[in-house]
Amino acid sequence: MKAAVLVTALALALAGCGSGLAVPRDSSPSAAMPQPPGVAGSPAPTTSSAPDTSCDATASLRPSGPLPPPGQMPTNSTMDRIVQRGRLIAGVDQNTYPMGFRDPVSGQVEGFDIDMLHAVSEALFGDPNRIQFKAITSADRIPALQQGQVDIVARTFTIDCARAQQVAFSTVYFSAGQRVLVDSNSTVADIGGLAGKKVCATKGSTSLEALAEVSSHPQLVSVDNWTDCLVLMQQGQVDATSTDDTILAGLAAQDPYTKVVGPTFAAEPYGLAVPRTDTDFVRFINAVLEKIRADGTWTADYKHWLGDRLGPVPQPPTARYQD
Amino acid sequence: MAGVITRAAAVPRAPVRLWRFARKFGRSTPGRLTGIAAGLVLLSIVVGLVTSTGVQGKSDEVRDLATSAEPLSVAAQDIYRALQDADATASSAFLAGGIEPAATRQQYLADIAQATSALTLEAGTQTAGNPLETLSSQLPIYTGLVETARANNRQGFPVGAAYLREASGLMRSTLLPAAEQLYKAENARLTAEQDTATTFPIGEVVLLLITFGLLFAVQWHLLRTTNRLINTGLLVASVAAAVALLWTSAAMTAVTLHLDSAERDGSDQVAVLVQARFAAVQARADETLTLVVRGNGQSYQTDYLTAANRLGGRDGNEGLLGQARAMTKDPAVRSMLDNAIQAQQAWLTVHRRIRDADNAGQYGQAVQDSIGTSASSSGTLFADLDKNLVSALDSARAAFNQEASAADASLTLLRPGLIVLAVVIGVASGLGIWERLREYW
Repeated sequence: MKAAVLVTALALALAGCGSGLAVPRDSSPSAAMPQPPGVAGSPAPTTSSAPDTSCDATASLRPSGPLPPPGQMPTNSTMDRIVQRGRLIAGVDQNTYPMGFRDPVSGQVEGFDIDMLHAVSEALFGDPNRIQFKAITSADRIPALQQGQVDIVARTFTIDCARAQQVAFSTVYFSAGQRVLVDSNSTVADIGGLAGKKVCATKGSTSLEALAEVSSHPQLVSVDNWTDCLVLMQQGQVDATSTDDTILAGLAAQDPYTKVVGPTFAAEPYGLAVPRTDTDFVRFINAVLEKIRADGTWTADYKHWLGDRLGPVPQPPTARYQD
Repeated sequence: MAGVITRAAAVPRAPVRLWRFARKFGRSTPGRLTGIAAGLVLLSIVVGLVTSTGVQGKSDEVRDLATSAEPLSVAAQDIYRALQDADATASSAFLAGGIEPAATRQQYLADIAQATSALTLEAGTQTAGNPLETLSSQLPIYTGLVETARANNRQGFPVGAAYLREASGLMRSTLLPAAEQLYKAENARLTAEQDTATTFPIGEVVLLLITFGLLFAVQWHLLRTTNRLINTGLLVASVAAAVALLWTSAAMTAVTLHLDSAERDGSDQVAVLVQARFAAVQARADETLTLVVRGNGQSYQTDYLTAANRLGGRDGNEGLLGQARAMTKDPAVRSMLDNAIQAQQAWLTVHRRIRDADNAGQYGQAVQDSIGTSASSSGTLFADLDKNLVSALDSARAAFNQEASAADASLTLLRPGLIVLAVVIGVASGLGIWERLREYW
């Protein structure tokens, strides 16, 4: 009897060891949100804590007389080399509506920055379309010029002293200012309201540097292109985007559920940039800018791309020269 | 304590008596004969069970190879290749500008449909849980991003391109690595099952040899103790054992040979051709992306050259295409591969033209050469190359299936045959010994 009990117990115990059939189970993995390629956090802290005002960066080189006729550039000049080649190689943005972007319908690169290049091409060749576009990121602008991959960069390029030591800038062709883009139902009113919130800007931009300085200390998310910021906002991965009002207006135009808020908290004067040694080309470009400011081309371009999105159409920025 | 000892001493006497009787009986001649007969019958039962189970196992292995391991390995490769192609197609739709061409859209949808249907095939497999989970949870997110990109493109918003970049990033960083892990696991499983299925079942053959030897020994023993030369029953049993031995050896050799040629003419070629398709679509995606990123695509161009080199080497007679061509013995497949090599060489030429045009600032011309519908555009040549690779792949798979079916067929009759032979061995040897035993009655 005892033995029978023992044996039964043993059998039950053994059966217990072998039990546990593999039952399929729903592991319900958490849905990880994808990110645009190249997303990173804050930039490495810069040594200078205040904007570099050690120089008068927006003062450029004065044009050396009137423009030469198209196709007849001074011998051995930078312009002559470009005319000999037959096309102007320009570093541009194909993601920033309405400054420099690729029209998804036509596939053409267009925008306000691009119109500046058309003016330069017209002056060089007598043809506004002799341009080879190279799409570059914000961070690529200075290396592309220094390595001679492009003749000129027209890409919402803010003039400042640190950059002016590495590349040469034209006179200011557009005066932008940094503001904040948020969802239309957001209660954030200006940059001060972004404490602890995630804010997006592109790598290598002055906007990112300025954000690192603001007193509300938002969490920074850096990306390759401005449209990546809009993607992150639409996917709820960041709370705001902060950069030049021009770019923000372009992003807001693509999403009616966003709004540009707050005052301008950093001035962003744009210049066309060329390699630092090409001073003759800087003088030539400044002459082209003088011309389009005077003949109404600038105002027409502004009306076409920006209209009244940033308030009434302003006067073209005044050219300032070093002498 | 004391009680236990008492009980042990009081163990019933009957078994002890039975044991003593058995020992005595066993030492007598009829006893020994009875023992031998019982042993032989038992052996025949063991032989019948072991060999027929073994053959059934082998047959299951062969069938599993042809109906599960091989199709699943192909399905896993289909997933990888379809996802790669979806990525390349989405990029080229972006290049086209405006509303993407109907054919491109169709191609993208077909890729997604193929990937998801191959994914359902994989659903039951135990091979690789994690990659499957990644694929089935991330693929809907990928397609969601592509459709968002499309909706934005339709409204002329450049943010569409950013969604496409995010989709492509997800594809390259998450989906393709998971698909690669999946097809590598399925390939490893195929190879392992092939190795198991081609192993010669030495145990069963040895058992049959032992049976044959024991039958011979019993006859020798009977000859010595009873002086009768021929025992019909044992002779029949020996013949049955010999037939079982020869049949099993022949059938198993046939299985091994068929599976060897299934591997040589089938799965080995499939492996090379699949890699060739991967390399081709990789090169196509890189070529397209070089144009999409516009002037910033040196890394894609380098990747293109690597993929193109892996595909055809210097002149198309090297690389994966050359390797596949050298492997095949089928003239039809060889001519498909010749066409593929020709298309790949033409593509290389067009690619150089595209790069020259793009570098010279003729972007529109470069895009046209890449995604245009003319017979000399790289898109057309790529499609032609892929079509020929698919035909060659189908032929290699057909060869595999043919050989695997032949291997299976050579086992069809063996199992019932072995059962019958085992019964014959048991009955005949029992009868044979009964004949001798009767003489003691």
